[in-house]
Amino acid sequence: MEELYIMIYILVFIIGSIAGLLLSYKKHMEPYIISEIDVLTLVLSIIGWFLLFNHGLNPNISPEILLTIAFFFIGLALGRRPGYGRKETAIGILIAAVVWISTSGVLF
Amino acid sequence: MNLMAQILINVVIAFLAGSLLLGFHRKVMARVQLRPGPPIIQYLLHSLKFFFKETSFPKTAAMPFYVGITVILAAVWVTAVIVGPVAQGSLMIIFGVYAIHKIVEHNAGSSSGSPYGKISCVRAVFSAAGELPLFAVIAIIFLLTGTMDISGIIAYQAVHGPLVLQLPLAALMFFTLIVTKSPYSPFAITKGKEIITGFETEHFGMLRGYIMFSESIAWYILLWIFLTVFFGPISVVGYLIGMIVICIITGFINATTPMLNPNHSVMAQISIAVICTVGSIIMIII
Repeated sequence: MEELYIMIYILVFIIGSIAGLLLSYKKHMEPYIISEIDVLTLVLSIIGWFLLFNHGLNPNISPEILLTIAFFFIGLALGRRPGYGRKETAIGILIAAVVWISTSGVLF
Repeated sequence: MNLMAQILINVVIAFLAGSLLLGFHRKVMARVQLRPGPPIIQYLLHSLKFFFKETSFPKTAAMPFYVGITVILAAVWVTAVIVGPVAQGSLMIIFGVYAIHKIVEHNAGSSSGSPYGKISCVRAVFSAAGELPLFAVIAIIFLLTGTMDISGIIAYQAVHGPLVLQLPLAALMFFTLIVTKSPYSPFAITKGKEIITGFETEHFGMLRGYIMFSESIAWYILLWIFLTVFFGPISVVGYLIGMIVICIITGFINATTPMLNPNHSVMAQISIAVICTVGSIIMIII
């Protein structure tokens, strides 16, 4: 069954990436020149990476569902036009990692 | 799970993950060369696009061989998925798959009738030297573990630790093979830029789609075998991290190294194979 879930995660990530690319082309017709952080992409990235690192925090929801949502949102943020979505992804990973480190007991 | 379902799921995983990894590899190369590079899913989108494009056939093509060879290539790598991740069977069959891949490269080049394909066809025979390290790796692993089955090698590593620590030179040899197979590799003489895309040059539309489908699976399988055979029983996260790290390393190598000429490429591979084989045997004896 694990392989089936892996296939679903990859498919969802690809669908998210394609959606992210299309959204990005709609929003930015120009090549990468705008260096401000896009709030929507940032929110999607934080939600995605938070769920990926910390899907074990909520035992009431199946981890497979949380991971599926996580990969979709990560794809949406990471799949933007070249240049866009990098800073948002880095911030998302950073926040998710900080929460994971502080809640998993790795340091204590 | 049903065996057929398991095969189907693993083939889909190999194709999708292989495509994403090749896209990531291209992205790494672009970043090293200070270019933005295409999105990671670009390789996958290209592969899918070719399945819907018009397929045209050159007048010089040797039919039906010209068409059949692409299907054989896809079938060969689907077989590798069955032998590898699904059945965890013998490494000798994987060696056979890689040998047939070389024959397919040779025949795909010659069947098109294109001069670029023909040069690539001749170089495919040259580059069969790339199989020497693979065969040497399998022999060395057999000397140490007493088995060629992937499942047996995993079980051996579960007891004795990862083979990469016991046979680092054999791992280096296999890694050379991975570099050889990676896109824009210094050893990729069959697809050198001076011969356009080598044996693929005259394959269009769906036929090119089959070739790209096979290349994605081939890349995934090579990385999977390397990680499984040398790093022991590892988790899905371990495979993911390992594959990403290998793509980054090969991306750096390929972005900064010019393509070797055929003689240098073959001699470099044979030299690495000889040095690492002798070194590995000495390490086993000591």
